[in-house]
Amino acid sequence: MLKELNPLIHSQLRLAIMTLLVSVEEADFSYLKEQTNATSGNLSVQLDKLSNAGYIKITKEFVGKKTRTSCRLTEEGKRAMEEYIEILKSYLNL
Amino acid sequence: MQQTKTFFNEEKFFVFHSNHSLFYKPFYKYYHFMKDLNFTEKESLELISQMIQQSKKNLEIGDGNILLYYGYTAIILAITVYTLVHVTHDAVWSSIWFLMFLPFILISVANNRSKPQVTTHIDKAINSTWSILGWLFLLSVVIIAIFGLVVGTFYFSLMLPLSLLYAGIGISITGVIINFKLMIYTPLVAFIAAIYMLISLIPGSFISNWWNLLFGASFLIMMIIPGHLLNHKAKESC
Repeated sequence: MLKELNPLIHSQLRLAIMTLLVSVEEADFSYLKEQTNATSGNLSVQLDKLSNAGYIKITKEFVGKKTRTSCRLTEEGKRAMEEYIEILKSYLNL
Repeated sequence: MQQTKTFFNEEKFFVFHSNHSLFYKPFYKYYHFMKDLNFTEKESLELISQMIQQSKKNLEIGDGNILLYYGYTAIILAITVYTLVHVTHDAVWSSIWFLMFLPFILISVANNRSKPQVTTHIDKAINSTWSILGWLFLLSVVIIAIFGLVVGTFYFSLMLPLSLLYAGIGISITGVIINFKLMIYTPLVAFIAAIYMLISLIPGSFISNWWNLLFGASFLIMMIIPGHLLNHKAKESC
């Protein structure tokens, strides 16, 4: 029997965020927003969900006078993503 | 005719049938880009591929400005030190070489004021390489200063061949990481110059003023030429 895909990742916006973060070391909020075409509100909600699951680490800091929110994948996030891809491959018989 | 009504909660996508049975259809096709809905495995794979391509496209554009900052500073200082030592016959002007730390300070301040939107794995590898080499530069100066205090003579002229070796290693590793072959080989000039300088340090030989120009020329070949080529490449890919 096929395993169920991780529902926390199996959502378009969250999967897009996770994939982008796999490709880079760290990305800030505006980069993720540009790449995913998501609204700020929706992106914030999804980032919080991934952060609460321990898949990403969100860092908020001041750069000059502006605040900067940056995200990076955690080890747990990397493992979850690897597992997701493995299950996805089994679904698609790859 | 059977009617269906759909609604969504945070994680699942449900379908209500007219016969009041509720069932969860995790892979029901409902395509609305970037909404928090479940979608098919095929779409999932397509999205992963699309995001990887998109991030690759945005990250391929790098520039050689850092190389140019250090390269041009080295050339200006080389000509300045050579001229001042030649005119005054006083080697104390060689201390101007400490201004090579100026681009490092300015770049660090600029980086603290505006951070890049994204840091790639390549950026991290390059930053870590140069961070180690930066510490080696600094440690070399400190160790030479400590030995100088002990023996009474400060051999800061050693910094010229050491800097060529450190910078050469850094450029070569950076060239390997970004897969830019010219950058892997141009530091050979710096290595040859550094070894020539070190051989000259054998007792009985002397430190020549032309070392300053040799240092500048090495930076021209090792940093300025690849820096401009990298910038040209980055413009072409825009």
